[in-house]
Amino acid sequence: MSSAPVALDVRNVTKSFGGVVAVDDVSFRIESGTLTALIGPNGAGKSTLFNLLTNLYHSDAGAVSLYGTPLHALSCDTIATLGLIRTFQTARIFAGMTVLENVLTGLHLGARTPLWAHALQSASARKEERAMRERAQAMLEAVGIAALGDRDAGALPLGLQKIVELVRALIARPRMLLLDEPAAGLNDTETASLAHLLLAIHRSGTTVFVVEHNMSLVMGIADRILVLDAGRLIADGSPNAIQSDAAVIEAYVGRSDPGRPASC
Amino acid sequence: MPNVDAALAITIGGLVQGSVFAMVAIGFALVYRVTGTVNLAQGAFVVLGALATYSFEQTLGWPVALAAVAALAVAGTTGFVVAVLVFAPGLRRLPPSGMVILTGGLLTLFEGAALLIWGSQSYQLPPFSGYRPVAIAGTHVPTQAFWAIGITAVVVVALWFVLQRTTLGKALRACAENPTAATLMGIDVERVRIFSYTVAAVLGALGGIAVGPIVSLQFDAGRFFTVYGFISVAIGGMSSFVGALCGGFGLGVLQQVGAGYVSSIFATTLSIGLLIVVLVWRPNGLFGRGARREDNRPPGGHALGLRLDVHPRVIRIVAIAAIATIVALPAFVGTGTLSSLCIAGILFIAVMGLDVLMGFAGQISLGHAAFVAIGGYVAAISSVRFGVPPLGGVALGLIASLICAAFLSLVTVRLRGVYMALATLAFGLLVDSLTVGLGGVTGGPSGLTAIPHFSVGGYTFADPRANYYLVWGVAIVVFAGLANILRSDFGRALRAIRTDQTAALALGIAVPRYKLYAFLISAACASIAGSLYAYYFQFLSPEMVSTPRSLEYVTMLVIGGEGTLAGPLLGVLLLVLLPTVVQPLAQVKTLFTGLLLVGGLLYLPTGILGALARAFTRRPAPLAEAAA
Repeated sequence: MSSAPVALDVRNVTKSFGGVVAVDDVSFRIESGTLTALIGPNGAGKSTLFNLLTNLYHSDAGAVSLYGTPLHALSCDTIATLGLIRTFQTARIFAGMTVLENVLTGLHLGARTPLWAHALQSASARKEERAMRERAQAMLEAVGIAALGDRDAGALPLGLQKIVELVRALIARPRMLLLDEPAAGLNDTETASLAHLLLAIHRSGTTVFVVEHNMSLVMGIADRILVLDAGRLIADGSPNAIQSDAAVIEAYVGRSDPGRPASC
Repeated sequence: MPNVDAALAITIGGLVQGSVFAMVAIGFALVYRVTGTVNLAQGAFVVLGALATYSFEQTLGWPVALAAVAALAVAGTTGFVVAVLVFAPGLRRLPPSGMVILTGGLLTLFEGAALLIWGSQSYQLPPFSGYRPVAIAGTHVPTQAFWAIGITAVVVVALWFVLQRTTLGKALRACAENPTAATLMGIDVERVRIFSYTVAAVLGALGGIAVGPIVSLQFDAGRFFTVYGFISVAIGGMSSFVGALCGGFGLGVLQQVGAGYVSSIFATTLSIGLLIVVLVWRPNGLFGRGARREDNRPPGGHALGLRLDVHPRVIRIVAIAAIATIVALPAFVGTGTLSSLCIAGILFIAVMGLDVLMGFAGQISLGHAAFVAIGGYVAAISSVRFGVPPLGGVALGLIASLICAAFLSLVTVRLRGVYMALATLAFGLLVDSLTVGLGGVTGGPSGLTAIPHFSVGGYTFADPRANYYLVWGVAIVVFAGLANILRSDFGRALRAIRTDQTAALALGIAVPRYKLYAFLISAACASIAGSLYAYYFQFLSPEMVSTPRSLEYVTMLVIGGEGTLAGPLLGVLLLVLLPTVVQPLAQVKTLFTGLLLVGGLLYLPTGILGALARAFTRRPAPLAEAAA
């Protein structure tokens, strides 16, 4: 397809909970610099797959590697140090900390000052803290929420919390960004500005892998779409190809399952 | 064969003691199953049952059966009232780890109340059926042993019947499995919780009445039964009645055998060591089944950090004013107050350390006093017995504390919330038993005397004023250093861990390492405070640094306000100075501490500082305006 290096390589990953196979022998590769979306009906195993990528769950079989580094034996925080940063389906904001402080935690990986230097408030410690605050402030301004900097992030409405979480992940300068349903709970205006933001992130060269339910959002911004159903990868292609894929249509609307809404 | 006789006597003694442990343990298991809470006040009901029976029987002259029934009624009523006023409201507001502190506060409150009612002497009930022992295989067994074991057997059968065969039992088990589903099925969960707490109280009292003629009890014996009942149930499995029963009897026999053949210090250390091993290796206990309840409720109430929204210039002015006050104060107060201020300064250092661990990193410690003890005893012993200069003593104490803290932290790294709190509690108890038991080194229960004054470079801090400046000088340095690191990336990482460990990990925060750092910092503060304590008083006894002190430190922190370093200052000043200023408070200090802790947790979740901050800060503008 392209000569870009492989950012994420997922091979034969399987995970079951008790008797339920949540992710069933899934393999795919994501090229560096692309914006890929993962879609599928509720319960298809999308979030489980995401949790397997960051070792929040451990797979029963298969292997995942990031830019050639196997992730198998690494802890969640070590995976983050390799540049794989994720957000969560329900915005996991640090309540009780301000918006600015939340964003500053995203800069944790870049912090270099040892503890004793902080205790003594050395010149380098103060310089690093000032630089971090300036970067965080600049980021908040770029996204248009600078006025919220000193608010308790936990007291914000869900839409803004999701934006804060995204900014917090973004400022960590990930090589690859995993977004778990960033548009869930957002209204139309918020979704539109999210789309702009995602495109800007994509244009900056960051590899983005997003789980999303909002089809119009996904169709508008993704280079490529993977479709998961009942734990298996049933389709993989460009947005146009996916829209006319028979298996995808069946997975979403074709079954006589009255409990599942047909609109997407 | 005398050996067989001795062995039989020891075993029977163990079974008798085990029957009380089992009764308390069953109470623990009952409350834990229904509410997911470890009720540290459980042992207090044993004392209440025994002492109330004593009052009815000996003071009022009632027949023993009537006195026992009346005592059970008193315990049941007390349990019911506590459940309605404190326990049930706590369950609605606090996370499980907060509930552990709340019930610890209840234990303190009960001890304080018992001290007021019954004084500090110990009581022993007369046996139910006379003093004449029965001879079995040549060994004389007191008849009360049969009463104690028989009552336990009856209780077990009755409880089994209620749980398995009645609708009430079904409701109880439903609440244990899934409170939400139970509510949806029309079960009044709150009523079941109150019921289980009341039953547990009656069970504890029953144990106290049965064992009252065998051991003598005083107002603070409750903590002993809480500890051993808890060890029994933790070894057996927190929610398993069979486990509680086996754990209780097993522990009783183990205690007696250990004490009979080696020494009582060995028996105690062995029991607590066993508890730590089980907590770490098999948190479900030996009889436990299935997944344990995780402490995964979102932090709310007191668990949420307090954020002070104050301008840096205001902070600077307040800091300068505070330092000026500290410098000038000795000129205006008498020696008595100056001495209280010294103690306050020492405790301030210790509680700041606890705040780093609890208020910032969100890890609950019920064993903070253990590190005060290590710092104090290592410094004192090295100075008294080996002539090490005080500064070296402080350093040795610090090293010992850091090694212990690192070990404890590595062993408990995977424990969360309630289990972490209990592991620290167990560690505290272990240190308690060592300070008392290793009398040859520590001076035993009567304490270590002739500790030199603190001195450095030829200058000796002999008079109260010099000590005052020493203590507060150290406190200011510790305060400044901690304030700096807590404002930095380090502090943000700790607060992130406190709120959401998973999200913190996802941002690359090495959670276990940061927990270790927080633990080391807290232990270092406690250790320094302990060393200063020993050199200031020139005397150190186990009672000054034992587990009840840990609860006092937690009280100071909770009352003052967690998550800011100024909170501990308010809490310490309140608990140290108020009893010296208001004389009647000194007599009811234990009760007062318990009331403050319980009341603070329930009604002042962000402490005094939080309440003040709320009163003096403006509410933020509506969101629409700010976003515009």
